[in-house]
Amino acid sequence: MEAIRNALDFSDFPKTDLGVALAVLVFLFCFPFFPHSAFAMATMIQFFIFSLYGMGWNTIGGYGGQVDLGKAQYVGIGAYTTMVCLLRWDIPFWVSMPIGAGLSICWSFIIGYPLFKLKGHYFAIATIATSLVLKDLFEVWKFVGAARGLGILPYKYHPPDFWRLIFKEDVYYYYIIFAFFIVGLLYMNWFRKSRLGYQLRSIKDNEEVARSLGVNVHWAKIKTYAIATAFVSVVGSFHAVYVKNIEPEDTMSLDISILIALMAMLGGAGSLWGPVIGAGVLIPLKSYLKEWLGAAAGLLGIDLIIYGIIIMIISAFEPRGLWGIIEKIRRRRRI
Amino acid sequence: MKSFSKSAKRLGLVLIAVLALPSVLFAAEEIKIGVLFPLTGGAASAGRELRAGAELAADIANNVMPDLNMTMAKNAGIKSLGGAKITLIFKDHEGNPTLGADLAKKLILDDKVHGLMGAYHSAVTKAVSGVAEQYGVPLINDSSTSPDLTRQGYKWFWRATPHDNYFTKDLFEFLKGMTEGKVKGLAAVPKKDITNLAAACEKTEWGSAVAELIEKFAKEYGFELKKSILYGAKATDLSGEVRSLTAVKPDAMLFASYGSDSILMMKTLKDQKAQTRVLWGQNAGFEVPEFVNTLGDTTIGVLTRTVFIPKVGQVKPVAAKVNAMYKAKTGNDLSGASARAFTGLQAWVHVLEKAGSLKPEDIQKAANAIEIAGEELVVPWQGIKFATTGEDIGQNILGSGLIGQYQKRADGKIDLEIVYPFNLATANMIYPFPKF
Repeated sequence: MEAIRNALDFSDFPKTDLGVALAVLVFLFCFPFFPHSAFAMATMIQFFIFSLYGMGWNTIGGYGGQVDLGKAQYVGIGAYTTMVCLLRWDIPFWVSMPIGAGLSICWSFIIGYPLFKLKGHYFAIATIATSLVLKDLFEVWKFVGAARGLGILPYKYHPPDFWRLIFKEDVYYYYIIFAFFIVGLLYMNWFRKSRLGYQLRSIKDNEEVARSLGVNVHWAKIKTYAIATAFVSVVGSFHAVYVKNIEPEDTMSLDISILIALMAMLGGAGSLWGPVIGAGVLIPLKSYLKEWLGAAAGLLGIDLIIYGIIIMIISAFEPRGLWGIIEKIRRRRRI
Repeated sequence: MKSFSKSAKRLGLVLIAVLALPSVLFAAEEIKIGVLFPLTGGAASAGRELRAGAELAADIANNVMPDLNMTMAKNAGIKSLGGAKITLIFKDHEGNPTLGADLAKKLILDDKVHGLMGAYHSAVTKAVSGVAEQYGVPLINDSSTSPDLTRQGYKWFWRATPHDNYFTKDLFEFLKGMTEGKVKGLAAVPKKDITNLAAACEKTEWGSAVAELIEKFAKEYGFELKKSILYGAKATDLSGEVRSLTAVKPDAMLFASYGSDSILMMKTLKDQKAQTRVLWGQNAGFEVPEFVNTLGDTTIGVLTRTVFIPKVGQVKPVAAKVNAMYKAKTGNDLSGASARAFTGLQAWVHVLEKAGSLKPEDIQKAANAIEIAGEELVVPWQGIKFATTGEDIGQNILGSGLIGQYQKRADGKIDLEIVYPFNLATANMIYPFPKF
């Protein structure tokens, strides 16, 4: 009960923030009722997906300060568990999704224990390495379709299938991932005020001091890593049924890991709204720059250049990301 | 006041009529085909070729070109649809299946295309064909060759190009022919000289399928596959892969590479002074213009499977004419990629002409019934006819492949010469493969 109350308690935020957040939530809820293109709908779903990935990353990367660049391995475990369960044994999404999260957590404990003996850059490099090794294993593992991956044959199912999460219209996916988004946001609100959340911030500030205060640094990191993992895995499961076709190169690539970290870092690592702001800016920016300036306009590659420049400007202007910029402006106003 | 409201009403009606006019009057004026190609990323050079090939075919279909002996050049637009013109809407999928599926949805739902074409990378085509099937929108594939694509049981997917089962079989027929003295300008090669094979294929849907087929046919034809590896097409270093290939001292090296990886592979083979008697590439990266432009003389002696070599123009006047038009447009000869994109769109034109309607069901019926004669095509196939029964539903059963070899002409330019089928050979084969 206490946890639920904490999750629902946003009283430490200024009223303006809460007003904006509420307006955004109302907009997100009503979005499918407004006239919109399929492209806009797909972009919104991608926004939710990457917001949730970013929230997961934010626990260990933002609050804990451990730069994890291997999150794609958990996207893969979640996605493959759901896909394999569905295709081989017709196990529905709502059963395979927690199985995937459980497997991801187990894997996170196995690699987390040795990984958190490493610090700084070495930890980041090790996370990349484990993710790539797992991807390579999936690429030769025939049971999961090896490098060719697995796909759902649309004619085998009869959408709308809420049990297996197979729909023809994206609006169903929209509201399901929206629900995940709300749960994720509430969980993160609880997490930042939880004992573990405070322990992590103390670890991020000074590991030695945290240890002297009685914090089991290694165990706190492993636990948080498992939480981050579960987040990413659940969304990975959703990704599998949403795109209906997964392969290691697409689902577990380094690009995905980098993008997840980028969303959270650019939005504002270590803040509740950071990953949401990051995904809210970067996902539409990437999609629409490509749409407006890409193949159709005959300006191939220019969208990527502009995208890169915007990321560089934000990083150079305020290393704490967009949330850092907002706070800076606020402080100046107060002065 | 009354007259004012009357005039306002009239004005409103006129406005509504004017606004509604285009959709009524011009309803049959445009047929939208969504085309998905990799226009950026590692296979961007192939993407440019594919796009130019499809655009040329659309130009021919939309205009009367009496000099060209093709049915689609005789009319301006689709005759059975009142001369409706074809508009191509290009999308860049970057070789990414998820992006490809998203873009296919956008084309279907937002751009309201009447059909789809693409997507080169077999992995992307697999994802896109799933979307097309889900929405019941026809997809004619021009250039993806993983055999599995026509084995998914889809009703809205047709493939004009032969798939890798045909192409890989051609390779082994060719190797067998070498041992039987069937290759132009080459005495029979003792089988022991070309028995040991090594293969490296990129590791997505296409390359993995090719690797499996090489293994299957090597067994069937009595060759020994000493090493077979899969590698990432985005790799920036292939020295480890090349070292493991050369370690088995292969007589023939076989590759399935997409774009920049084919060039990197050749450079690494050269750096490590790899030795082999036969070097064969499964089309794609081995025949884009950049392959020869970047590597120059290193490509002499390289074999590649393809469906088009400019020399085809010597026996097919229509191919020579289209090739000349393509060269005037792009500065390059037609390649296997651009020729297949051209042919894919040509198949679309014939299907639409036969359907005489833009209803998906009518297009589906027409695609299943169509038969395009070989003389209509720039590629040396017997024609296009899609299978409606059997293992490969939607597969063109009249397609065939060629094997070409890069050779230096008298003027110093490097060109592909036909070495297979043996009866179409245009030059003596260079054997063994020159040392790097």
